[in-house]
Amino acid sequence: MGKTWLRDYLIKRLIYSVIIAWGILTITFILVRAGPSSPADKYLANLTASGQDVAAVVSAIEARYGLDKPLWEQYFSYLGNLFRGNWGWSFSTSMPVMELIKTHWVYSFQLILLSSIFAAILGILIGIYSAVKQYTRTDYTLTFLSFVGISLPNFWLGVMLILLFSVKMGIFKTYYDTTLPLFSLENLKALVLPVMTLGTGMVAGYVRYTRSAMLDNLRKGFVTTARAKGLPERTVIGKHVFRNAMLPLITIIMFDLGSIVFGGAYLTEIVFGIPGLGQVSFNAIFANDYPVVVAVTLIGTLLVLLINLVTDITYTYLDPRIRYD
Amino acid sequence: MKYKTTGATTSIHAGGRLASYYWQRTRRNKLAIAGLAFIIFLIFLALFGPFFTMDPTEVNFEEKNLPPIGFSVEKSTYDIETSEFTTTIIPGTWKHPLGTDNKGRDLLAMIISGARISLLVGLIATGMAIILGTIIGVLSAYAGGWVDNALMRFTDIMMTFPFFLLLVLIVFIFGHSLIFIVLAIGLTGWTGTARLIRSESLSLRTREFVTAARAIGARDRRVIFRHLIPNVMSLIIVITTLSIPGVIMAEAALSFIGLGDPTWTSWGIILSAGQHTLDTAWWIAVEPGIMLFLTVLAFNFLGDGLRDAFDPKSNI
Amino acid sequence: MSKTILSAKNLKTHFYTNRGVVKAVNGVNFELSCGECLCLVGESGCGKSVTALSLLRLLDSPPARIVDGKVSYGDIDLVKCPTRQLRQIRGKDIAMIFQEAQSALNPVLSIGNQITEQIKLHEKISRRQARDRALALLEEMGIPSAERVIDAYPHQLSGGMKQRAMIAMSLSCDPQILIADEPTTAVDVTIQAQILEIFRNLRARKQMSFIFITHDLAIVNEIGDRAVVMYGGRDVETAPVSQIINNPRHPYTKGLIACLPDISKTEKRLESIPGNTPNPIELPPGCPFHPRCPKAMEICNRDMPLPITISQGHTVSCHLYT
Repeated sequence: MGKTWLRDYLIKRLIYSVIIAWGILTITFILVRAGPSSPADKYLANLTASGQDVAAVVSAIEARYGLDKPLWEQYFSYLGNLFRGNWGWSFSTSMPVMELIKTHWVYSFQLILLSSIFAAILGILIGIYSAVKQYTRTDYTLTFLSFVGISLPNFWLGVMLILLFSVKMGIFKTYYDTTLPLFSLENLKALVLPVMTLGTGMVAGYVRYTRSAMLDNLRKGFVTTARAKGLPERTVIGKHVFRNAMLPLITIIMFDLGSIVFGGAYLTEIVFGIPGLGQVSFNAIFANDYPVVVAVTLIGTLLVLLINLVTDITYTYLDPRIRYD
Repeated sequence: MKYKTTGATTSIHAGGRLASYYWQRTRRNKLAIAGLAFIIFLIFLALFGPFFTMDPTEVNFEEKNLPPIGFSVEKSTYDIETSEFTTTIIPGTWKHPLGTDNKGRDLLAMIISGARISLLVGLIATGMAIILGTIIGVLSAYAGGWVDNALMRFTDIMMTFPFFLLLVLIVFIFGHSLIFIVLAIGLTGWTGTARLIRSESLSLRTREFVTAARAIGARDRRVIFRHLIPNVMSLIIVITTLSIPGVIMAEAALSFIGLGDPTWTSWGIILSAGQHTLDTAWWIAVEPGIMLFLTVLAFNFLGDGLRDAFDPKSNI
Repeated sequence: MSKTILSAKNLKTHFYTNRGVVKAVNGVNFELSCGECLCLVGESGCGKSVTALSLLRLLDSPPARIVDGKVSYGDIDLVKCPTRQLRQIRGKDIAMIFQEAQSALNPVLSIGNQITEQIKLHEKISRRQARDRALALLEEMGIPSAERVIDAYPHQLSGGMKQRAMIAMSLSCDPQILIADEPTTAVDVTIQAQILEIFRNLRARKQMSFIFITHDLAIVNEIGDRAVVMYGGRDVETAPVSQIINNPRHPYTKGLIACLPDISKTEKRLESIPGNTPNPIELPPGCPFHPRCPKAMEICNRDMPLPITISQGHTVSCHLYT
């Protein structure tokens, strides 16, 4: 049968992703240029306090950032710069934006990774259990709790956890030491509360999606067939039902990652002072440091694009019903 | 022979009887009703509360950091002359039932004021997003061809942006007055709606009851809308109810990180300030969060209940 | 003749729903002898599928429950035996095939996977051997290019091939009894003929017994040895097929036979049985058929008629014969 169709699909999908990426960059550019004040003004506000000659600074900035050039040129040099890795200069930290990102992305990555693993394992297991035990009190309780989980504002949850564990009980510290290695015990302990914060919303979501996907499949014909063959119940649920439920589940979980988790991680970093990209962006906002805020948004978006691409390919590969001949 | 149902059943008279049928089904879901009750309570609070409470912006440093009713706080003062610590216990009073913040502002008033913001932003911004999404969705479905293609690619692009990150960027660039916040949310939150409405419109067009309606001579496209609109309406109602909590959370999160409108008291702002006095005045952080949580929960219960009520396949 | 290998006595399966108790199976009796093909016949809603599923306890236990009765397989009561024992019997001694192969097969697993899974569950043979046996089974079922089919997924096969694959799967462990739940209902007549052909071959070669569920009397006539006519969750008449067709005793059976259109006659109207099948939540008291029965008597409204043997191998549940 051959798998050439998969390769063709991959190529098509890649081209499509490039188009979307272009669209993302363009929209970002439009937003920045459509803003009421140019980056020059914002930098100016910081500088006039230091008493430099305003006019000279303005023209220097405009020359440097090419703000005096026509829009077309600005657009193409913008795109060109991005490709070459020149994502601008951060006023507030006096380093290239790329450098800033390189030093801080690991912390975001660590937080999101740990939270995702924690949430996925817990969420899927609870979701399967809840679906299998439908109509029992356990199911109703778990469903109710999952509603609670997705309704808890995650930044408030973080603050509450700090209140409870750090302030009142003094168990976990509330700061993160960047001098220690990433996965050292100290830092992992400091990550317990943030992972719980970010993870709770995710777990609740995963429980709901898994439960729903499992329920969709639990009453299907092939389940009766599997039982009629004499298979033990755990194989019926674990192999037959779950494999069918898993496919749409992957898509939903990945999509969720993009739309909700990044926002959640942003807030969690701020509440707990984790020096990831969210914190970086937050600091930049108050320093009016334009390029950094734009850069963090772009990274998040392009990452989502990548995740969507990978998920799509994976799903197409895994689902035997999809074949493009 | 197994009785196979087709989609050829036309809807019951749209309007009164249908609405009451759906309402009956919703009523059976106790959580949804509880949610609805809370929302109504909140609306009342927002509309009439300010008449009965103090001015939320009235600053009074004498009365700062007072606990809510039923709680009390210890305050130690060191008297230099006698070199002694005197500890006084300050209880909460009915004057400030929810306590005060670090500038002496009455928290009950602030919370009620925050309710106004949340509901205002929630309803208006959601309304904008839903309307925009519906227009794009329906347009895309009926125009077809390159219009559909272009609109959907655009939707794909906008959907790739993580919602909150995009919001932060827009509010950062354009400024954080309430109007911009509402606009920002409304202009970025339409993507999911557009997708859903488009796919529903596409599927409705080919459903058998439309064919059946045409077969009995339905001339006007308006008659067909008598069949299509009720089906899309239910979807719109569910999407709206389920979008509101996300919008309210987004506004609160923006306020929390300082990108809210400082001239209004939002729950997010109160929470943010409360972070710094967790050890001395924990209620400042707890109360707005509880309200936020309950509001979001209420809309989620209601939305879920409505969704089950409108789904003909779920047996309630 | 031969001995009884499976028997059901007073089997009752009820569904507990929030609209009431559905008495889908309300006292069914039958005996299956070695090597015979027993047909369960009846209209939709008479409880034949639920009966079949109850034999192996395949119904979801809320809302269904087997409230009474005994299903004897050897000296094991299938209704009460422990689940572990039941699982050893399922698929190995007693196998089942279903009406629609598309929904009965798992869409994300290959045909081969689903067949070998069953083989390896019940027997200790290697993966290679299991696969070879699966291949042989598929070829036996008349599937061309079995090598391709074994690695294919259900949606890639035609309706007839799916049905055959399902039958092959059920035979993979050489079961003693095969329960077929309306295997010909959802397919067109050509495939129907093919499937009946497969069954005839199976009967000729293997010493298997069949429980064949259908609503189609023509099929009963083609393939059955004996038939159990069901109505309203009960067995109303049990007899060799020739007796059912030529000498029906129960008013319902008589009505069914009369309904069959006869090309040789030139009547203008088709016969039918007046009235509707009973609502299983609100069954009429006494005999379930009496509201529609042309011969109904007073007692029919009060007492449930019990099966009475009126001749060799022929029982009727009707007050006319009490």
